[in-house]
Amino acid sequence: MKKVVYAALSCMMTFSIAACSSSAPSNEASSSTVTGQEPIKLRIAWWGGTPRHEYTKKVIEMYEKQNPHVQIEEEYANYDDYWKKLAPQAAANQLPDIIQLDTSYFAQYANKGQLEDLTPYTQNGTIDVSSITEDVVASGKLNDKLYGMSLGVNALTVVMDEENVKKAGLQTPAPDWTWDDFEKLTIEVKNKTGSFGSNGLYPPDVFLPYYLRTHGQHMYSADGTSLGYTDDSLFVEYFQRKLRLVEAGAIPTPDLQAQLKGIEDDFIVKGTAFMSWNWSNQYIGFMETAKRPLALHLPPGPNQKEGMFLKPSMFFSIASNSKHKEEAAKFISFFLNDIEANKLIKGDRGVPVSSKVLEGIKPVLSPDQTRVFEYVNEVSKNSSPLSPMDPPGSAEVIKTLKDISEQILFKKITPEEGAAKFRQKANEILAKNKG
Amino acid sequence: MKFRPKQDNLAGYAFIAPFIAGFLMFTIIPMLASLYLSFTSYDLFSSPQWIGLDNFTEMFTNDEKYWSSVKVTLIYVLAGVPLRLAFALFIAMQLNRASRGVGLYRTLFYLPSILGGSVAVAIMWRNIFGNEGMINALLFFVGIDKQILWYQDPMKALWTLILLAVWQFGSSMLIFLAGLKNIPKDYYEAASVDGANAVQQFFKVTLPLLSPIILFNLVMQTIAAFMTFTPAYIISKGEGGPLDGTLLYSLYLFQKAFSFFQMGYASAMAWVMLLFVALLTFVFFKTSKYWVHYESKGE
Repeated sequence: MKKVVYAALSCMMTFSIAACSSSAPSNEASSSTVTGQEPIKLRIAWWGGTPRHEYTKKVIEMYEKQNPHVQIEEEYANYDDYWKKLAPQAAANQLPDIIQLDTSYFAQYANKGQLEDLTPYTQNGTIDVSSITEDVVASGKLNDKLYGMSLGVNALTVVMDEENVKKAGLQTPAPDWTWDDFEKLTIEVKNKTGSFGSNGLYPPDVFLPYYLRTHGQHMYSADGTSLGYTDDSLFVEYFQRKLRLVEAGAIPTPDLQAQLKGIEDDFIVKGTAFMSWNWSNQYIGFMETAKRPLALHLPPGPNQKEGMFLKPSMFFSIASNSKHKEEAAKFISFFLNDIEANKLIKGDRGVPVSSKVLEGIKPVLSPDQTRVFEYVNEVSKNSSPLSPMDPPGSAEVIKTLKDISEQILFKKITPEEGAAKFRQKANEILAKNKG
Repeated sequence: MKFRPKQDNLAGYAFIAPFIAGFLMFTIIPMLASLYLSFTSYDLFSSPQWIGLDNFTEMFTNDEKYWSSVKVTLIYVLAGVPLRLAFALFIAMQLNRASRGVGLYRTLFYLPSILGGSVAVAIMWRNIFGNEGMINALLFFVGIDKQILWYQDPMKALWTLILLAVWQFGSSMLIFLAGLKNIPKDYYEAASVDGANAVQQFFKVTLPLLSPIILFNLVMQTIAAFMTFTPAYIISKGEGGPLDGTLLYSLYLFQKAFSFFQMGYASAMAWVMLLFVALLTFVFFKTSKYWVHYESKGE
């Protein structure tokens, strides 16, 4: 008996522990290299929710019909899983031909030689950029190489339930409101109605940088080897304000934010908060689920113009291991410029970058979508250049910021301690990008 | 034993070949690779750089989160495993006594374990303990108007995980039940003739005779508990929050590997875990001679 137990145990232990170690999944090799009108296979990967998967598949179908020699294989997932799937593919040199990237991971892939420079394709017209402004094209550049084409732009916004604000006998803010106005309104909402004044300005890695920008500073340094802002008092002020709001019960604690199951659960949708800090493309989802009018406001200032920027919502890039770069570039051009395709895409990947598309899809837009497009247009006249791209390692920096934000809001550490701790940890992570 | 002709061996090898091939390819080779990687810095995008013991020194001397994850995991194992085993044994004894409908109850009690590490159960669990979840609704129903905020306090959040582990006691229960059925009835009869009451019978007859089974369950469940990943990942949405309260070792390892792309560091963590669990298992077996009773030895 004893021996058997020993043997069984040692076998099972070896097995189960091995499950802990990592191994990279591999994909079947793509078919042999062929050119011209010979049938070819492209792989394309993106993240998103169900609506995005649905219309993207339709756009792909449309492209396949127009280009019968191209067959497109789709690989999609939600945001978190997407990156976990993509990285091992990069390690195995098996990246899909076209990959969707965002600013947080862009440098990680571009700096490690995973992406193709698209400049030749925009120069010879394979990717048609004639109706896209230079600034927007340049947002996909790193070290003077064009590693991605921006698919749309977003802007920060404070979505506001103006009806409810008025019902509570409060004033809706002027366009040039300040952080103090925001704090006052948020606390008044709480005191008068018991609802939260605002959502929790979550995640901190989106809204702290906005605050820094209004003070002329940036989250990351231009070379990505350290934090960009030098004045810790900005960090301290920002979190002191958030802490005051949490203590007043005027914004939700982080654990409530973490319990949200989806958009239908969101505070502003359920009416338990009157404001929601978000990206502009989220607005349509809020409107569809809340089924009552919501307004778009600029985030508070002073110095809104310095703080605001047009964020490339996501990029399409071509993997350097792709065997069909030319064909991949053609598809990207179609995705950016085809009006019929964009009538399906609408504004889901941000406000379209092509002015022709923007004009062409106007008739099919809903009033909500038009409002977002107008808002982003408004911001474009009143904004400043992008901050430096998130450097490699930013995923860990962001997680560190989230941890420290939680510790501050649960009052385990003071904002001052948090500022010092964040600077030390983040710089430790970013220092690895030196040399 | 008689000498067997070679063909017999060949047939044997042929039969185990699929297993051996799979074992080599999917277990041994990845394990050796991870052993190598644990001495490197590897971000998946560029080739691994040899850095000697740096991963291990960083882990032991400079990584707060690592130690916090070790602490959380130890609490999880030390509280979860004994509770689960005690609960499993308790239910097994009830089932052993009952005569009618045992099959049905056995299945019902085993059900949570079949659902085991599944994602659906973890999501359900998260909702049950949510601020507007079932537990708080029940409390409200019985007149307690104060919500318990399970996910605001690291310790409470960890207890939701421990409770989930205890609830999934089915497989240990089945093994206990089989063990209990193997204890001859005569022993209990003899004990009661000698005037032993139920409690004495439990400690003097049941426990000693069941001790090999307890050892087996203890070792298996401890190993499984150290590697728990899915519930923590789902319930905390991959973050290990609040305040790292549910950041189990394996979850931190996963974050390091797949969120921060530090495969070398994650491999090093995996090996530390392997060695620790192996050591613990060794200790269990070495101390077992003081508390595990093997019938064959005594006779």
